[in-house]
Amino acid sequence: MNALKLVGKSVLRKDGPDKTTGKAKYTVDVDLPGMLVCGIKRSPHPHAKILSIDTSKAEKLPGVKAVITGIDTQGIKHGFVETPRYPPDQSILAYDVVRHVGEEVAAVAAINHEVLAQALKMIDIEYEILPAVFDVEEAMSPDCPVHIHPNHPRVKDNYCNIAGKTKTQWGDIDAGFKEADLIRSDRFESHLRTHGYMEPQTAVADYSGDGTLHMWISSMGHFGKRKKLAKALGMPDATIRIHKAYVGGAFGGKIDLFSHEYCVAALSIKTGRPVKYVASREEIFIAYRHGQPLISEIKTGVKKDGTIVAQQLRMINNAGAYKGSGVVVIFLAWGFTMIPYRVENFKYEGYSIFTNNPTRAPLRGHGAPQVRFAIESHMDIIAEKLQLDPIEFRLKNARVPGEELPNKDNVHNCGLIDCIKQAAFKTDYTNRRDLRPDTEKLSDSNPMKHGIGLGVSAYFGGSLIYPNGSSAIVKMVDDGSVDLLTGAIELGQGSETVLCQIVGEELQLEMDDIRIISSDTATTPPDIGAWISGMTYVTGNAVREAAAGVRKKILRVAADKLNEKIENLKLANKSVWVTDNPEKHITYRDIFEASVTKNKGDTIIAEGHWRTMRDEPFHPSLASTKGRWTENYAFSVQVAEIAVDTETGEIKLLKATTVHDCGFPVNPQLVQGQIDGQISLAVGHAFMEDVMMKKGYTLNPSWLDYRMPLIHNVADSKGVDVITESYQVGHSFRTKEVGEGLVSAILAAIANAIYDATGLRLYSTPFSPEKVLKGLKQLKKNRGLL
Amino acid sequence: MKQAIELIINGEPHDLIVTPNVTLQEAIREHIGLKGTKAGCEMGTCGACTVLLGDKPILSCITLAVECTGLEITTIEGLSDGPTLSNMQNAFVRTGAVQCGFCTPGVILSGTALLKKNPQPNVSEIKKALEGNLCRCTGYNSIIEAVLDASDPSGLLDPQQDQEKKL
Repeated sequence: MNALKLVGKSVLRKDGPDKTTGKAKYTVDVDLPGMLVCGIKRSPHPHAKILSIDTSKAEKLPGVKAVITGIDTQGIKHGFVETPRYPPDQSILAYDVVRHVGEEVAAVAAINHEVLAQALKMIDIEYEILPAVFDVEEAMSPDCPVHIHPNHPRVKDNYCNIAGKTKTQWGDIDAGFKEADLIRSDRFESHLRTHGYMEPQTAVADYSGDGTLHMWISSMGHFGKRKKLAKALGMPDATIRIHKAYVGGAFGGKIDLFSHEYCVAALSIKTGRPVKYVASREEIFIAYRHGQPLISEIKTGVKKDGTIVAQQLRMINNAGAYKGSGVVVIFLAWGFTMIPYRVENFKYEGYSIFTNNPTRAPLRGHGAPQVRFAIESHMDIIAEKLQLDPIEFRLKNARVPGEELPNKDNVHNCGLIDCIKQAAFKTDYTNRRDLRPDTEKLSDSNPMKHGIGLGVSAYFGGSLIYPNGSSAIVKMVDDGSVDLLTGAIELGQGSETVLCQIVGEELQLEMDDIRIISSDTATTPPDIGAWISGMTYVTGNAVREAAAGVRKKILRVAADKLNEKIENLKLANKSVWVTDNPEKHITYRDIFEASVTKNKGDTIIAEGHWRTMRDEPFHPSLASTKGRWTENYAFSVQVAEIAVDTETGEIKLLKATTVHDCGFPVNPQLVQGQIDGQISLAVGHAFMEDVMMKKGYTLNPSWLDYRMPLIHNVADSKGVDVITESYQVGHSFRTKEVGEGLVSAILAAIANAIYDATGLRLYSTPFSPEKVLKGLKQLKKNRGLL
Repeated sequence: MKQAIELIINGEPHDLIVTPNVTLQEAIREHIGLKGTKAGCEMGTCGACTVLLGDKPILSCITLAVECTGLEITTIEGLSDGPTLSNMQNAFVRTGAVQCGFCTPGVILSGTALLKKNPQPNVSEIKKALEGNLCRCTGYNSIIEAVLDASDPSGLLDPQQDQEKKL
């Protein structure tokens, strides 16, 4: 194997110096002369009819430059998904009905925050309160009196308030269950959490005299964002230019088109001045999108030897007031179910249900943590019932390399079996489990109980979602260094560093010889965006192709100038060398000049493109799951070691071991950073974070009351790579994702570790002290210990 | 009533006229234009707006600018010496303690304040000093490593202080 120069190395972040010195520019930092501030008037009611809106007083207030309401945006609809089955259902500003607290009703542009606050108060809105529904099962019950949207045009079902439905099956489910020696049913619930991105939701618009709308948006992919903005604004795509700005975290919460983005644009067009909106943290908690709570009902049939013969699932998602990503999460929940284990007979039903809660968005893992928590808990329960070793049980059903999935995708060099074996070995899992009956565990006098648990997960990497592919351009500069132009957006994951490593590898350049110009819709090529876990794979391969194109051109010119065959040449130190004659070489600088002279002015520019699932026209059906999904599955096994304080109910994750198959890490330090961040997110999910809602209102709209992990909650986190793929200069590569999937198995592992420590099986998140204490008390009662 | 105040930011005096309700964070970001100080919540819960008042880290989003008149304030822009990063800034790059970067200025200033007071802190002292800074990306592992790295005795945090110790 050839030795690599940059790929596979923990090269330091390109954006490190700018981000540590305060130079890095985010959207919140954009400051333009004459800029106005924008504010949004929001609904105080979870469900109400708008009888009248009177903005006249606000408009007369000195310093108010423009006000827009639903009258100005009437007829514009947008949605996370916009398909014939799931047509867009969100308005920019509510026109007739508001369906959740915080829904946008009017927007104001003013000269400063004081005037803005006053103006927002002076907008009079008369509402007629409508009955509302918040609980998902109440909302879906056939006799629910509240109908949030008229009946779904394409989904016929007995349930009420259906936003979406996914249904699929294979094999013969009844025959499968008949074969089973054990049939086990469980129900798991996950709760409402939020992203907690540090940079607030924000956007700036500046409509210039030439008809270009300049924008800065804290976003996860500018090209997808521009597409939706252009459609909503009724402007040609090309007239909207979204500029580069660093993004202060997103975690799934900044994908959609948001009303404030449209509003700053419309207000800038109306006033001819730059307009900026920054959401307050309270607004983000009350009105913006959180994650997706899921109810998972699982029934599994297993033979004595541990073979899973049938599995039936029913998932219910509380989508909130509009479809948002609810109709996607019920599709994804199927995917996260079927990847890791072979199930010959399978039936799946997923429902996404409207309620009068704020709309929901993907949150790192987009359903996988919820689904894997349920399934991996369920797996441990079954293993115990059948007296099977949990490792052997999982190995028996785990996917093997080259296996075809029911959707005709292939897992290729799947490293799952290796991951399971290594996770068990590295943590001494089998020997460290506490196999005593729970009566013994609970009567042990030490109130601190230690436990170990394991979970399995898998995640897709890249799928066909607009713009379905990435392009990149690499161009040489006179001095022999290069510029990389990519639409990839840097939101913390390290895309700029990784993409430069790839260019550096192909052209044997140092990191400092590569400048990256990124995420500007006017100057960089389209990109899939940082939200389907495919950037290193899809954009990375596009960048590699572009760099390879430059390499070809360099070699051709060098061969000509040195009078040598291309096969005898190699690249090093910004020069091309003759392999068997170390004296003979030509510098990139001279090659650049020679190319311009000899090749009709070619300044050595090349482009690259990449698309996952090249032969597939579309994303698979959200309704039936039919169609190929991805060619890139990542696998992981995580082990949690915890301590439960049975007196306070508090649990601490002491150590998290993540054994994962990401193909190969392009940058091990960045991969470890992704692992650590996801472990932390899982700690929040498991023990701390809970968006508490009552009748559609958020009761804890601040970081004081919504507790995210602090430095005191840090867990020892160890990552172990299972390498299944490799990088070779001049060839395409298959890296697998690490940005989302690793928040999932650890959550299941924690749940299983709680059981190992105490005998308490928790069926819902969060594993709060109250729930643990209550559960332990009940368990002791059941065992006659109280 | 507007008031005339003088803020000494990174050793440079700035004369401002502000209403008494203007926070130090607003004064630094909006009036003076130094954008390295970040506002994550504007209610004192996230630590992104941390600056140093003298040697002490404070939350600039819940500090009034008028209270700081005549006082020495250090922001993230004041730590590096021209293009040369401070020991702490370098350590953050080296250990991968930076991801989205939004919390980074505040975390680095909290860490810098700690090392001024306690040049070789242990892990629990680091946790205590950084407990007011939220970071959503890193899980804090690499941040702890960075502060430990910056406090390595071979590094020179404050050459003068080091000189004194040697004498």
